[in-house]
Amino acid sequence: MQELETVIALSRTQFAATALYHYLFVPLTLGLSVLLATMETIYVISGREVYRQMTQFWSKLFAINFALGVATGLTMEFEFGTNWSTYSHFVGDIFGAPLAIEGLMAFFLESTFVGLMLFGWDKLSRGKHLLVTYMVALGSNLSALWILVANAYMQHPVGSEFNPATMRMELESFTALFFSHEAQAKFVHTSVAGFLTAAIFVIGISAFYMLRKRHMAVAVRSFRVAALFGVFASIGVICLGDALGFISGEGQPNKLVAMEGLWETAEAPAGFNVIAWPDQEAMENRFALQIPYVLTPLVTHSFDGTITGARDLVHRAEVRIRDGIPALVALETLSDNPNDRDALRTFRIHGDNLGYALLVKRYAPDVTQATPEQITQAARDTIPPVGPVFWSFRIMIAAAFLMLGFLILATIYSLRGQITEKRTFLKIAPWMIPVPFIANEAGWVVAELGRQPWTVYGQLPTWISASTHSVGYMIFSLVGFVAIYTIFIIVEMFLMVKFIRKGPDDGPLPPAEPAVAAPGHTSQWSQA
Amino acid sequence: MKNILLFAFWFLVGLITLFLAIVLGEAGAWYLAWVLGTVMMILIAATGTVILEVDDEQDRPY
Repeated sequence: MQELETVIALSRTQFAATALYHYLFVPLTLGLSVLLATMETIYVISGREVYRQMTQFWSKLFAINFALGVATGLTMEFEFGTNWSTYSHFVGDIFGAPLAIEGLMAFFLESTFVGLMLFGWDKLSRGKHLLVTYMVALGSNLSALWILVANAYMQHPVGSEFNPATMRMELESFTALFFSHEAQAKFVHTSVAGFLTAAIFVIGISAFYMLRKRHMAVAVRSFRVAALFGVFASIGVICLGDALGFISGEGQPNKLVAMEGLWETAEAPAGFNVIAWPDQEAMENRFALQIPYVLTPLVTHSFDGTITGARDLVHRAEVRIRDGIPALVALETLSDNPNDRDALRTFRIHGDNLGYALLVKRYAPDVTQATPEQITQAARDTIPPVGPVFWSFRIMIAAAFLMLGFLILATIYSLRGQITEKRTFLKIAPWMIPVPFIANEAGWVVAELGRQPWTVYGQLPTWISASTHSVGYMIFSLVGFVAIYTIFIIVEMFLMVKFIRKGPDDGPLPPAEPAVAAPGHTSQWSQA
Repeated sequence: MKNILLFAFWFLVGLITLFLAIVLGEAGAWYLAWVLGTVMMILIAATGTVILEVDDEQDRPY
């Protein structure tokens, strides 16, 4: 049992490590592809060469990030099969379809058009090239859509039913899966967070050039596009994050209590814990600084809602575990004799709580002999690690509001034509680049660590989802992944810095096409 | 003839867009919001550069 626990911990660590590395690249790809489409749209409409230079320069950075994003994402698709074989067997019918479509989107649609986008400038007409760039943007975001549909199923399993004959979940409604509120809110929040990441990235690098008075024509215009794009993205990401929190809170109240550090059921008006020091063992906060009245409207979107606390959720879980035990016993009978009618009837009555009974099997291999203490222990496991989730959530929120403020200032300075004079702001801007990446990673921790102890919420506990590898195998592969992915990060950073230092290929600008610019007019920054 | 075909093509595009908008609006409101919001953000960002170019042509700082 001890070795199994170690293998599970290592499997989780490995998936978390690969996902966190991969997720460093993904949001920038999602957002930068749309920003490229925006810049190229302006180029096609205006005919001004500077927008072509802009698009081509940011395309190079996009390509570096895209290549490493695909490389790091590849392994994760295989990891489901190699390290999480029980999980893959259990939900393969449902999880496999969106995962396969995601692969098709990433490799066939997105990757094919990326090649055309990068190398097709002189081979395609303007309109066709613009269409290609839009296809890249669409492909990358559709790719994200499908993986998030799959992920949303893990958070809120809908459109499926467990079949005791095959011992796996089977898909009943693809539309329920695709249109689930969790999937929708998760996609829009994640995608727009990518937009925000790209906007901050473009602003930071443009500010770097403006400080040094290099590539001014490209930098000033890139800054303007990214500031306007980003300010709406930041508003969107906060609103959509609230929506996702509301939807997730209804479906996963245990994640919600971890995000809010809420141990006792709170009647309206409940206070919001700005900072707290949660003690999971004692199920209380050792210290908390609260803003009164804020939590109830924030969580329930009403002024009189009640928010169930962790202690009551544990009691509910105990009831569900006890109710699920007959289902698990019946399932074991059915595995020996699939035609046992009594067992099938018992399973139909108690099957909804099968996953909860599986939680207690961790402590009592014969669940019929489970003691009240073991049931309580299993029920307490349903509360995810509160400290990391609570603080990751606050880091994400703080970063989101910091970026909103930053982008409002960026937009005002840009629209007023003052940005090149705001040297302090320009000095700060490059240091803002890591902020969205930190927020993205923190958001991922909230979503995935907050789902524990489940791989599929309420259905399949994490502790039985992993493959039965040896500890040595897991350590070897974990070290290998971390080493290779660290090299990937170093390569990305090296290439990014190299191309950023080099800057866009912006020789003296030719005059814009007569139809769209004043004849003979020369830009203020054309020779910069 | 070419104009009729062009009209028919864009009319078809319009019908498909309407159909998608109705289906998404009914079952996938967040997806529809993403489509509309992303297009809006692209247009607003592009409009910002139009203002910038006008400022540039009139030699105002931008």
